[in-house]
Amino acid sequence: MSLRKVFMNGIIKENPTFRLVLGMCPTLALSTAAVNGIGMGLATTFVLVGSNVFVSLLKNFIPDRVRIPAFVIIIASFVTIVELVMKAYVPSLYEALGIYIPLIVVNCIILARAEAFASKNGVVASAVDGLGMGLGFTLALTLLAAIRELIGNGSIFGMQLMGAGYQPVLIFILAPGGFFTLGLILALMNSLTDREKA
Amino acid sequence: MSYILYAALAIGFLGLLFGIILAVAARFFAVKGDPRIAMLREALPGANCGGCGYPGCDAFAAAVAAGDAPVNGCPVCSKEAREKLAGIMGIEAGEVEPLVATVMCRGSLENAGVKYDYEGITDCTAAASLAEGYKMCHYSCMGMGNCVRICPTDAITIENGLAHIDQSRCIACGKCAAECPRGIIGLIPKSQQAIVKCRATEKGKSVREACQAGCIGCGICEKKCPVGAIKMVDNLPVIDWDTCIDCGICAENCPRGCIAFVGDRPKVAYIDESKCVGCTLCKKACKFDAIEGELKVAHRVLPEKCVGCGECIKVCRTDAIHMIARKEK
Amino acid sequence: MEKFVGIILIIISSALINNFVLSRFLGICPFLGVSRKVETAAGMGVAVIFVIAMASVITWVVERVILSPQWLLALGVDQAPDLTFLRTIAFILVIAGLVQFVEMLIQKSNPALYSALGVYLPLITTNCAVLGVAIININKGYDLLQTLFNGIGSAVGFALAIILLAGVRERLEDAEIAKPFLGFPITMLAAGLMSIAFLGFSGLIK
Repeated sequence: MSLRKVFMNGIIKENPTFRLVLGMCPTLALSTAAVNGIGMGLATTFVLVGSNVFVSLLKNFIPDRVRIPAFVIIIASFVTIVELVMKAYVPSLYEALGIYIPLIVVNCIILARAEAFASKNGVVASAVDGLGMGLGFTLALTLLAAIRELIGNGSIFGMQLMGAGYQPVLIFILAPGGFFTLGLILALMNSLTDREKA
Repeated sequence: MSYILYAALAIGFLGLLFGIILAVAARFFAVKGDPRIAMLREALPGANCGGCGYPGCDAFAAAVAAGDAPVNGCPVCSKEAREKLAGIMGIEAGEVEPLVATVMCRGSLENAGVKYDYEGITDCTAAASLAEGYKMCHYSCMGMGNCVRICPTDAITIENGLAHIDQSRCIACGKCAAECPRGIIGLIPKSQQAIVKCRATEKGKSVREACQAGCIGCGICEKKCPVGAIKMVDNLPVIDWDTCIDCGICAENCPRGCIAFVGDRPKVAYIDESKCVGCTLCKKACKFDAIEGELKVAHRVLPEKCVGCGECIKVCRTDAIHMIARKEK
Repeated sequence: MEKFVGIILIIISSALINNFVLSRFLGICPFLGVSRKVETAAGMGVAVIFVIAMASVITWVVERVILSPQWLLALGVDQAPDLTFLRTIAFILVIAGLVQFVEMLIQKSNPALYSALGVYLPLITTNCAVLGVAIININKGYDLLQTLFNGIGSAVGFALAIILLAGVRERLEDAEIAKPFLGFPITMLAAGLMSIAFLGFSGLIK
């Protein structure tokens, strides 16, 4: 598969949030503000690219029986790096994302890509796949967050868009809002793809 | 510098500790299980994400082995992994014959008579419930594509109002058969080449008026079958898969063309007259009376009776017989 | 007495007010994946309680003994090395190893129990909930007993949520749902409504 196709695959055809429906925990929890969405998405992208590259480099050295624990350790190391970097350079974002940064380790997307792609393909292709999937995830997360923030707070990226008379629909920023917004977007995607299939 | 040492020691110690505990535990707590489940489990990614709907890869492997889950139920699997899983299930072909789905109808818009123009919901159940369907035959395929939509491997297409299944893509998950409201999709052994493509239980004139390709229940196939594999039940031929030798005689003789023959063309024997010395050995060897000819006169194979078993070739001393493809109707 | 009340409060808060799945969004993947039937959901819930209880205690021990070894000070060492940055790696190692070990133990010693809930154990390893509880325990600075009950409380909350959702989904099987909403979307909406219901608990403890 050409590199361009690998990259676009992660963004559209096999978008991890909307098509594969993996990595739901951070998606629902952190899409309260658009800036959080981007921050989490980029952190995950970094871990994805790093772990994909390393798994691809080491794929011939890791025995088959212990491959899952080995992948997990590689991923955990990269997450630790991201954690420390964020704590040092963007402490406000670090506070906002809180407990979800270490939880990137158990994000199903990363393990799934390591298993399905990186352990079978070359280093460059794996890196591009990681980048594509990560950006696809970031886009999905940011879209969700933007919608929730707009309806629930009247702002996007901290900039107030709705006038003073707007009553924000608080429920959208709270927990239930995550479920509702994601459910409605998935339904929209389904109806769009059904129409093009029929 | 010392931090690196401490970190390495700490994690190294933990890793070693658990490694030893697990290795010892694996020895002491080993349990024998179904080897097929272990093989399936090996081929699975092992991400334990629960995306398949089963609690973990072990449970999914067990479900596939038991035949409860389709081989492609795992969203994380790569194509190679899926093929491996299918291969593992197919390898046990000694006990389980690999199956494939087939549409048992040839009522395309060309062949089938139409009662009215249907312009409703593109759903087979809906179409079939409106005055028993828009095609004159009450058993026919509605061609609205419920089966197409439910097929997980995109093996089904609708052509001219009739569903067709690509056998090379079908994984025999059975979803299409369960979905079809007319019940005309069935799972048959992949190796079976002669297939009855009609489910109309009426006979004669009413079938002929409803569809050009419908079975009129004449029973010619039952009479012509050299091994007695066909029985007429409810005006439809029923082929016994184990007895059938895929000779193709039934398909050739059906006046409406409702028995299809898939795969390689059946073979019949052909005697090269220039080499035949008329020794009658082949005539005696043939159990189906398919060779005629007097002593010392060149013999001839009757293709309408020959089933392609090849017994005559074994006994011929002058190498005068070889197999050719049976001509298409 | 005070300690006892404190523990009750911890259980209520972790099970209901800050429900793991519906408020904190931890453990969504298995929540969506294993909630099709009430039976499997119940099995999953019990397995989760089991694993989280053990994992909480063991990760607490790892934190106090290896990552932040304050006990070295008592032995005369003047400064204990701060290895807390290794928390993520150490914890995930411990959890994975623990679950593997417990699975083998159960499979050998009690096959009936294994066929009931053993199959869920590998799924729980990659469940955000376990790692999440472990880290929350450390962040809140609980002692051993509080850790244990926080773990149990959270897991009970998870079990409650998953069993309730399974009940709802079983009913949805017979309902007529518009085509685009089949599968995940309708489940999400159902979970959202449950989440609103659980918001009602938020005033319970001052």
